[in-house]
Amino acid sequence: MGLRWYIARRVGWAVVVTFIIVSITWALLTAAPNPEVRQAATQAALEGGNPNTAAERVRELRGLNAPLYQRYIDYVVNVYTLDWGWSRMRSQPVTQAMVQSLYYTAQYSIPWTLITVVLAPAVGLYSAANQYSWKDHLATGFSFFGYAIPNFFFGIILLLIFGVYLGWIPITYNSDVPVFSLANARQLAVPIFVLVTGSIGGTVRVARNESSEFMSADFVKTATAKGVSTARIYTRHILRPTMVPLSTTMVAQLLALFIGSSLLVEIVFSIPGLGRLTYRAITAQDTNLVLGSTLFFTFIATIGNLLQDIVYTVLDPRIDFSDR
Amino acid sequence: MATDSPSRQFEQTDWDEIARNTERGLSTNLKLTLGLVVPLVGLFLYDLLALGQYDATFGVVGWGYDVTQLDWLFALSLILFGAYGLLPLYQAPRMTRYYWSEFKRNRPAVVSLVFLAVIFVMGLFGPLFLDPPKAALFKQFQPPVGTEVNMQYVIECSGQVTTSGGERFCQGSMAHPFGTTDNGQDIFTLVVYGMQITMKIAFITTLIVITVGTAVGTTAAYVGGMVDEVLMRYVDIQQSFPTFIAYLLILYIFGGGIALFIVLFGLFSWEGTARYVRSNALAKAEEEYIKASQLTGASAYHIIRRHIVPNTASSIITDVTLLVPAFILFEAQLAFLGLGDTAVPSWGQVLARGRDVLAFAPWVTLVPGLFIFLTILAFNFLGDALLDALNPRAAAEAEE
Repeated sequence: MGLRWYIARRVGWAVVVTFIIVSITWALLTAAPNPEVRQAATQAALEGGNPNTAAERVRELRGLNAPLYQRYIDYVVNVYTLDWGWSRMRSQPVTQAMVQSLYYTAQYSIPWTLITVVLAPAVGLYSAANQYSWKDHLATGFSFFGYAIPNFFFGIILLLIFGVYLGWIPITYNSDVPVFSLANARQLAVPIFVLVTGSIGGTVRVARNESSEFMSADFVKTATAKGVSTARIYTRHILRPTMVPLSTTMVAQLLALFIGSSLLVEIVFSIPGLGRLTYRAITAQDTNLVLGSTLFFTFIATIGNLLQDIVYTVLDPRIDFSDR
Repeated sequence: MATDSPSRQFEQTDWDEIARNTERGLSTNLKLTLGLVVPLVGLFLYDLLALGQYDATFGVVGWGYDVTQLDWLFALSLILFGAYGLLPLYQAPRMTRYYWSEFKRNRPAVVSLVFLAVIFVMGLFGPLFLDPPKAALFKQFQPPVGTEVNMQYVIECSGQVTTSGGERFCQGSMAHPFGTTDNGQDIFTLVVYGMQITMKIAFITTLIVITVGTAVGTTAAYVGGMVDEVLMRYVDIQQSFPTFIAYLLILYIFGGGIALFIVLFGLFSWEGTARYVRSNALAKAEEEYIKASQLTGASAYHIIRRHIVPNTASSIITDVTLLVPAFILFEAQLAFLGLGDTAVPSWGQVLARGRDVLAFAPWVTLVPGLFIFLTILAFNFLGDALLDALNPRAAAEAEE
């Protein structure tokens, strides 16, 4: 019982949430006029045909005349069996298009996540250890700066400075270079830097505030008194309890950024990843692809929230599950 | 003897008179709100029913400005902000002085407050004095004051033209202090108009978030049972739906202008407030003073309105102060993606327009970008300071 039961219930709820989100997207799409039908009607009218019959033909073809419940069931089954339809823009199945773009998204998001996870607690801890010194103020200033500057704007400025004026980095992304090569590192360095400054700010603040609370805790004093080395105090006695609240903010922050900013950063740096795919699908009115990426991002968010809750409870042995 | 002032005796108190004097009438705040909202609604109905869609609202008095839906909402939120945000500060000068002395210690926050106040005032009144930004193709790419640009990009230079190294350069002039865009619109004017959009985003979303969040939170806590369960599960779902993606999807399906946009921002982000209000209401329900007012026969509404909401207000304000920058960022991001309302000169729109000319006219991007950055920074500093000043205990809670 206890932890395992809690996790089982939490996973069950996550499944329910995805189901509800899938239903909401279906309702939104059904309520709105279908751009494909409209396009067919416009085209027929331009070519001198009858727009009504053309629209009717597309409706027939796409199964839009079936009863609502039938369409709903089909939709839900398709979503959960990963049959997300055909992308007109890419002339390939939506899932395939997304996997291909994910390859490019992963190339910058994995290093970015690793850097944030390693650097943020370290900087926060360092800041707390040297509280109110100039180093602390520098770290605080930096985190506020990173938090407040819009990622895409920062990206544009850096691209302007390092790409246009100094010519140190390529202005356009080259997808042909091997993943583990100097050229790839060079073209991804600035996007990763931009994303790290964006994600590290909030996390450093939390790490600093949380660990400064433990700096003067009784168990730290005890450890100091019995002669534990400073490094061990920081890593074992202060970092350990700090990680509990920190892990949740970190997951939430990374997720929010992954979904919101990666889209813009990919567009600024013209990386052919998931964000740019979504954007191009929107401008090209490719409904299946828009829907696919929306579902992908919401699933990621749901899984992230789930992980956040589970990590929180697993990391903190003090939490009691009997009434949760 | 101590009883030489018999007139003060308990038995002789005229309780009827006291009861008459403390008769609960409308509070000053409510009077002020009603006094301004009623004419506002009247004016709105007049605009809606008596005038055509494109007729200027104040055409009768000779002012050719057609008030938009967003303006009505903005006016409403300003009235409520005045009556329930500023007036209470005036009514309780002692608390105001205390908060101010706490707040004053955070110097970046004071600077931020001044900055936001300037943006607010300029955004509110600037558009009344400045003509709307007009396209003037001959005036394209005028550089800001103190900078210069090669004459090959400029058709007609407002400032001086200097020659150096065989090339001619256009110097920035006070005619366009922040320079002009690719179609010659004055960036200073655009920025001032953008201030108003930013303030509309800030005030209207705040109004929606506070209203819906507080209503849902207190209802869930006080009604309890099934209602509580359903409302809180809904809050869960809203929390796991990534907000930015939700906007993208809705904009993709329905399209829509800035008004829809701002209302959506508000309607999709009250979950944190609702959660906080609910947990606080549940915790406060156990307090002695709540029990005391329940015993004296206070209604649930009275307890919520008089005790729970004021007690959670400081944390709600802080929460919203940190939410607003996210909205400003969202608007800028959508504008940058070309999915925003192109009819509105928001900072994000101007920024997005400068992208293609970044190499030789970076000010078109940098000036609005700098304003976005400073505004977001100011809101963050303000939220941080409010957290410390209004509710020292919440500082510890919020970081968990």
